[in-house]
Amino acid sequence: MEFTLKTFIFYGFALMTIASALAVVTVRNIVHAAFALMVTLFGVAGLYVFLQADFLAATQVIVYVGGILVLILFGVMMTSGRLEMRIHIERGQLLLGGGISLALLMLLLTVIANTPIWKNLTDDGTQLAPTTERIGQLILNEKFLLPFEVVSVLLLVALIGAALISRKEVRD
Amino acid sequence: MEPLKNIESLAYFSPEILLVVFAAAVIIADLLIKNRESELVAYISLVGLGCSLVAILITNSLINSNEPIPLFFGMIRLDGFAVFFKILLLLATAATILFSLRSEELDARLKGEYYALLLAVTFGMFLMASSTNLLMIFISLETVSLTSYILAGFLTHSPRSSEAAFKYITYGAVASGTMLFGLSMIFGMAGTGDLSQISSQIASVLASGGVSTLSVLIAITFILAGIGYKIASVPFHMWSPDVYEGAPIPITAFLSVASKAAGFALFLRFFHVGFGKPEILQSIDWGFILAIVSALTMTVGNLAALPQRNVKRLLAYSSIAHGGYLLMGAVLLTPEGLGAIFFYLIVYLFMNLGAFYVVVLIANEAGTEMIDGYRGLATRAPLVAGAMAIFLFSLTGIPPLAGFFGKWVLFYAVIGEGLYWLAFIGLLNSVVSLYYYARIVKAMYFETSEDTNGLSFSTGTFALLSVFAIPTIFIGLLNIFYTFSDKITLQ
Repeated sequence: MEFTLKTFIFYGFALMTIASALAVVTVRNIVHAAFALMVTLFGVAGLYVFLQADFLAATQVIVYVGGILVLILFGVMMTSGRLEMRIHIERGQLLLGGGISLALLMLLLTVIANTPIWKNLTDDGTQLAPTTERIGQLILNEKFLLPFEVVSVLLLVALIGAALISRKEVRD
Repeated sequence: MEPLKNIESLAYFSPEILLVVFAAAVIIADLLIKNRESELVAYISLVGLGCSLVAILITNSLINSNEPIPLFFGMIRLDGFAVFFKILLLLATAATILFSLRSEELDARLKGEYYALLLAVTFGMFLMASSTNLLMIFISLETVSLTSYILAGFLTHSPRSSEAAFKYITYGAVASGTMLFGLSMIFGMAGTGDLSQISSQIASVLASGGVSTLSVLIAITFILAGIGYKIASVPFHMWSPDVYEGAPIPITAFLSVASKAAGFALFLRFFHVGFGKPEILQSIDWGFILAIVSALTMTVGNLAALPQRNVKRLLAYSSIAHGGYLLMGAVLLTPEGLGAIFFYLIVYLFMNLGAFYVVVLIANEAGTEMIDGYRGLATRAPLVAGAMAIFLFSLTGIPPLAGFFGKWVLFYAVIGEGLYWLAFIGLLNSVVSLYYYARIVKAMYFETSEDTNGLSFSTGTFALLSVFAIPTIFIGLLNIFYTFSDKITLQ
């Protein structure tokens, strides 16, 4: 495999994503975990760039890194005094869960190894083009209008649910 | 038929649009109504369901049974199959609203949200029954799941209800994440989200050696995890007893009937249209895998129901077992299997909702969900006890009640395909289930309670009870002069 600057950056992003994702689930301090999650989400945005999904990458940074993560941090800071979380896991559960995860990993690696048609999209001659306009057309004018509208119902439901759960209990 | 474009599709989409419009109307009406005791919002929801039913019947008259209409560029499809499930789901939702009106568990201040959410979840289930695109399948499933989480945890003052919502959402997030991963693999392999093209696309990449059979197997297994969670099949059933026990009783009834039916609609369409083609099934015997899942589901459900003391929890395990019976029909991938599922779902709708209605009534009057609370019910409220006995014996499958005919049609279809062992396991399970259903009947008729005061119910209660009890007795006869397998097909 040719080792260009591009592959170098790609592996940099991949490593960053995986390492920080590991940190999210292993560190004890919940604020540290939240910051590690920021790096993970940012790394995923980088991977989107490599997939030529420019709009998605920008949205990922704005919505997840910029919005949701800040909310998570505020949520953590304002709701619990305790930043350290000790979760007790039985040895048997750890072995079982670890075993299943490992088996799943091996299975998925086998799938990757057995799939010979991985194509490098940039090298097959297609022109790089911005996707934003195309996505807008698809969502508002063409095929994806219905899913887009249904998602708005989904969000309305989520909003009602959030209001219900967070509402102060009034007893009369 | 060419898929219709967005604007052209709207007329055929009117049942769903009406549901959303009425959900919004419920929220607005709730803001305007000052009187907390007013039940107007519930009646607005019922009117909404009625309008939607009329719209379904009108759109149904527009379709030709042999030619489904693909809507919104093939995102969803209007066919006899979708119409059947929509009507079934509407009936279940209407029953849930009527139960909720009589249930004393629910907070009177939150009526608006409650009924709006019920309409929204029905909207999601309509889409589950008609989706023909991987993206729509996932979004409709998520809409239903998210709304169900909120409804399960609706009793915010009850720790049990909050626990139910928490367990539901935790399992649900894992299941839908797994399913999404499987869907993305299928999309990657097929290059299309359209259910009707996936099968041929995957067959051609399989033939060219582009992907391995293992990848397809893993992708479909992941998707099955998501669907299996929705229909509570083993091994994805763990959530259901806790959720069913903790949720408000009308919601438990709704989840056990409507959510399961919508899950089956999605499952059937996915397998019959997407993966039922022999070219994909060649190397993997899906029928056999599903037959084992079906056998496990009914056996685990029935065995776990045996020691239960809480009637709600007992009915939760029983509904897992009934999911197993229904899966027997799904295994077959034949029109007879489909027809058997349709018939069983109708029967199950009446008998299971009826049983849950009695649980609502007893919870209101006696304040308990335990079997002990049913002691001496035969003398305290003979009509209610009689109706409960009918529902329970029908759930067991004792002739001449509807449940017997439902099982008969299912077993007949299974034996027709030569799966004698599966039919035998189903039969054994019915015998086992008699034990725990009969325990409730025994408590009602042969045990006495200290409290011998008669329970009084309103005329409306008896009317609603008979709406479920009379079909439970007679609907089995429907099977004699009407066969679903000729009328409704999936293509």
